[in-house]
Amino acid sequence: MTKFISSKPHYEYLRKKWSARHRAVQNKFWERHGEHLKHLALGSLGGLMLLSSPVRPELPPPNLTVSRDDVLKDYDRNVLLAQALSIKIPKEVRPLDSLEEKEITDILSRNLGFKVAAEMDNIRLNRNYGLIGGEQHLYRYPGDNLYAHADSTSDWGKYGDAGIAPGLGAWGYFSPSRQDFSDTDKQRERYYLAIQTFLVPGYAENVNKFRDFFKYRKMLVINSKTGQAVVAVIGDAGPAQWTGKHLGGSPEVMDYLGLAEGPRKGPVLYFFIDDPKNEVPLGPVKIRSEA
Amino acid sequence: MKHFYSSLIEIESIVVELDKMDLTKEQRIHLAALVDSSLHHTILDAVLSELTHQDKKVFLNHLKEDDHSKIWKFLNDHVDKIEEKIQKTAEDLKQELHKDLKEAQNK
Repeated sequence: MTKFISSKPHYEYLRKKWSARHRAVQNKFWERHGEHLKHLALGSLGGLMLLSSPVRPELPPPNLTVSRDDVLKDYDRNVLLAQALSIKIPKEVRPLDSLEEKEITDILSRNLGFKVAAEMDNIRLNRNYGLIGGEQHLYRYPGDNLYAHADSTSDWGKYGDAGIAPGLGAWGYFSPSRQDFSDTDKQRERYYLAIQTFLVPGYAENVNKFRDFFKYRKMLVINSKTGQAVVAVIGDAGPAQWTGKHLGGSPEVMDYLGLAEGPRKGPVLYFFIDDPKNEVPLGPVKIRSEA
Repeated sequence: MKHFYSSLIEIESIVVELDKMDLTKEQRIHLAALVDSSLHHTILDAVLSELTHQDKKVFLNHLKEDDHSKIWKFLNDHVDKIEEKIQKTAEDLKQELHKDLKEAQNK
């Protein structure tokens, strides 16, 4: 009889060892504190999400890879929005006309609870419906590295393989130094878009004005097929026209749009967010009401 | 996902070692999830072990809401040197994980 030999013994070793350790810490945890968790109403799990019980059926099933704000959690409600949008969005991926823009931004503003707009301060993008492609991580401060981008080991597992761009984003580093690096800077790199600002009408004549306007400008990007939506900032200029893509998304943006696998490309709507008080947080968006 | 203790825990050294290994994306995600969940259980065990029966309930409710400011205010009011305790707990587990990583690299 042939003995099976794994082609990756290092993985098998870690998988077995870490699975056993995980079971042991789970058992210890539930033996010592399980009584207290039983009494919690598990409507929204929040920081309890990674807790999984090896034996107790009344608790959520072991769920090691799903994060609290995993977009699938809201998939059904987002789909309702996608359905409402589908009759307004053209069949082919092309720039929207003014009527389409208005109808779509009205639907989005109504459902998301904040105002989205195709035009602000008399500035509008070259288009608001296009193909998004996956971008790499960006250096956030001098001395930054890819590993430092991960908040958790799972972050690295999901987003590490996207790599880090060799050059800086359009606005340079997000922070002048590691010491000055803030949570705002971190969120901006995590949820950034590359927008073809160089194709915006009037850009060449108004470089300074437009640069100031676009720098970290808050935007909504939404997967037109699924309704999965993310609030992000403009963190880079691109992609080049020859790529056939119209904008780019950070690894995290692509993940929350449901476009991180396969060709890492797909049609999205993208609009400015009118948020003068900076109240709309970056990250995946939950639908407030039925579309 | 960012946890209330994320800023206290350095996971970069684990990630660097894992990144040196030949792993598929699925394998990376699986091992990463085991690390995160083990850390989470171990740290919460350490925190809950410092609290009274009643305080555990309050803490778990804050945790459920995932309100980091409330969690830290509560912990700092109820447990002496809680940050140090969390860091020590995480470091102990990480040392074991590093030992495993070293073993795995020799396989």
